[in-house]
Amino acid sequence: MSSDSLTLTPAPRSDAAEQVRAEVREFLAAELAAGTFTTHVDTWLSGVDPAFSRKLGERGWLGMTWPKRYGGHERSAMERYAVTEELLAAGAPVAAHWIADRQSGPNLLSYGTERQRQEILPRIAAGECFFVIGMSEPDSGSDLASIRTKAVRNGDGDWVVDGAKVWTSNAHTSHYGIVLVRTAPADPAHRHAGMSQLLVDLSLPGITINPIRILDGGHHFNEVVFDQVVVPGDMLLGEEGNGWHQVTAELAFERSGPERFLSTYPLVAEFARRVADSGDAAALATLGRLSARLLALRQMSLRIAAALDRGELPNIPAALVKDVGTTFEGDVIEEIRKVVDVTPSLDSADPLGRALAEAQLHAPGYTLRGGTNEILRGIVARGLGLR
Amino acid sequence: MSDQDLVVETVRDILSGFEPFALTAERRWDAGLWAALADAGLTGVGLPEEAGGSGGELADAVAIVRTLAAGAGAVPVAEQLLVATPALVAADLDLPSPQEPTTFAIADAVTVHPVDNGDGPGRFTLTGTVPDVAWAGVASSVVVLAPAPAGIEGAVLALVDASSLPATDAANLAGEPRGSLVLDRAGCSGALLSAAQAGEVRARYALARAVQLAAALEQVLAWTVQYAGERHQFGRPLGRFQAIQMELAEMAGEVTAVTALTDAAVQALDRGEDVVLAAAAAKVRAGAAVEVVARLAHQVHGAIGFTQEHKLHHLTRRLWSWRDEAGSDLAWARVLGAGVLAGGPDALWPALTRVV
Repeated sequence: MSSDSLTLTPAPRSDAAEQVRAEVREFLAAELAAGTFTTHVDTWLSGVDPAFSRKLGERGWLGMTWPKRYGGHERSAMERYAVTEELLAAGAPVAAHWIADRQSGPNLLSYGTERQRQEILPRIAAGECFFVIGMSEPDSGSDLASIRTKAVRNGDGDWVVDGAKVWTSNAHTSHYGIVLVRTAPADPAHRHAGMSQLLVDLSLPGITINPIRILDGGHHFNEVVFDQVVVPGDMLLGEEGNGWHQVTAELAFERSGPERFLSTYPLVAEFARRVADSGDAAALATLGRLSARLLALRQMSLRIAAALDRGELPNIPAALVKDVGTTFEGDVIEEIRKVVDVTPSLDSADPLGRALAEAQLHAPGYTLRGGTNEILRGIVARGLGLR
Repeated sequence: MSDQDLVVETVRDILSGFEPFALTAERRWDAGLWAALADAGLTGVGLPEEAGGSGGELADAVAIVRTLAAGAGAVPVAEQLLVATPALVAADLDLPSPQEPTTFAIADAVTVHPVDNGDGPGRFTLTGTVPDVAWAGVASSVVVLAPAPAGIEGAVLALVDASSLPATDAANLAGEPRGSLVLDRAGCSGALLSAAQAGEVRARYALARAVQLAAALEQVLAWTVQYAGERHQFGRPLGRFQAIQMELAEMAGEVTAVTALTDAAVQALDRGEDVVLAAAAAKVRAGAAVEVVARLAHQVHGAIGFTQEHKLHHLTRRLWSWRDEAGSDLAWARVLGAGVLAGGPDALWPALTRVV
């Protein structure tokens, strides 16, 4: 049938993943007990804590799947899955390193020069070098191919970048961006041609980072403006003109991980405390239903981790995980509201009220970031043979 | 090719000779399909040969059940291969002939008395009404899970000869027989099960329905994608309209989620793990997908799908029934909720990661 391209074989059991899972759990329990962090919703966007990221680096939990010669640990995607899932479930502050570890590093591994890899990857794995995604622009959201930020070679062979990127999560606390730019004028007949990716040091002259506050007042997003920014010629990532293909490959990593269904898990955990206290039968059933959805998403995401271990880049199943998973993240809020008395407030004395407030004010982002669910469903429809 | 591809191909070959039909009180199952499957040895797959079965793995039995579910085969194969006979084997009871249909039923309101006929334990009499018996009036044997005799913990698993028992005419939304059987001091062989063992049998039943749901959901998606490619309106196929594409993609997400979880639960069963919570999760997740997939499938098919002239109803009516059979959706949601909370709310996450 035509949906074969959507399905993947089941993930094998991994004893190594269960081993590292136990280690992460022990570490998190100790950190929570020591008060080095408190649990929050959606911490892979909002929980910036460079010291925490360095601790993860010291324990070998960043750059886990990368070659040892680049500071990696040559472990499986299944082991990495277990680590990331545990961190998210605990609501730990993982935002500082999240993008670098998840997709910038793998992108460098695929397309970077030897020098780029040697210089940058070990620092990412150590939790000392953080990245941003430079894709969306003020006039280019879902239609990414319409970007206008351009890079032109000057007489020295360097790139001169002009334009602006937006929704750039944590640019103000990061070191580099992988910036998608036009290196050739737009050609309406070949919309995906003429784009390239540049590795841009965010401290370069001519870069201005302006905060954009999200609904809860938090500063995570930014507008990053490039005004005649001179990027050294050897900071081209991959091939000139191959930017679209490289961006697409990145998205398999970006879209399939447990952060696409666990952003609101800390709210579920608070809800479970309320259910245990009340013993309410309807709430118990809701906890069961939410658990069933979450468990299915884990299996979908695990299948993708296993596929990554086989060297595949399953873009279409990744789009499916993100569509189903981010829908779940938002549904959690409404399902819980139906069965418990709770008022959302960031100032609430009730931890459930606080978690609900955090989840609600972040909710519009779940189904937008990393490709809107409408874009994702278009990709799935292509997988079904409809377009 | 997986080991199960040959099994699937064989079942599909057989199915191709038996078009699904609307079940009625006059024609309540597909006796011809059953005979063809039994002749091919497929009604004993997964059962040890020394017990009269055809051998083979759980995965083979699951593949057969999936293929028949997708083809709307009106035969008690899921009950026989995945629930009734494995439960008999686990309880060390003799199996009826796999050539004759055996079903499974939960009989919470039946009273059980032990019979001491001098041959030692293992004989019981059962009295009371067994409701909602899948394939009542069709199956010649019913494996019944009933409360243990007064004063004994646990349950009794009993093999009831149903060939001479009258069944009421009730049916589910797809017309599949779901009548009651009235037992009046029915003598039968049986075995005592612990509460945990009884729970595993119930879970097997739920997982069997989840497997059927997963297969039928996949098939409904495939039919709907195919229809959207063939049906033209406004000068182009339905599938070219973005609104339709969004609906089909939503269906695909649901189907993929159900398949991933159901497969994982089946594998856990195959490894011999306790699957009560895994089965509960698979059943509840599949049940949740039914609402979305059946609704959107009918929406895309339009009026023709709302008639018995089109094949869609063979599966959507089954989906609407199966999601609340073998324990209602609500009942299994509570089991799962209570199960993941059993170690206290602070242990919710470790509990979730242990389910499958």
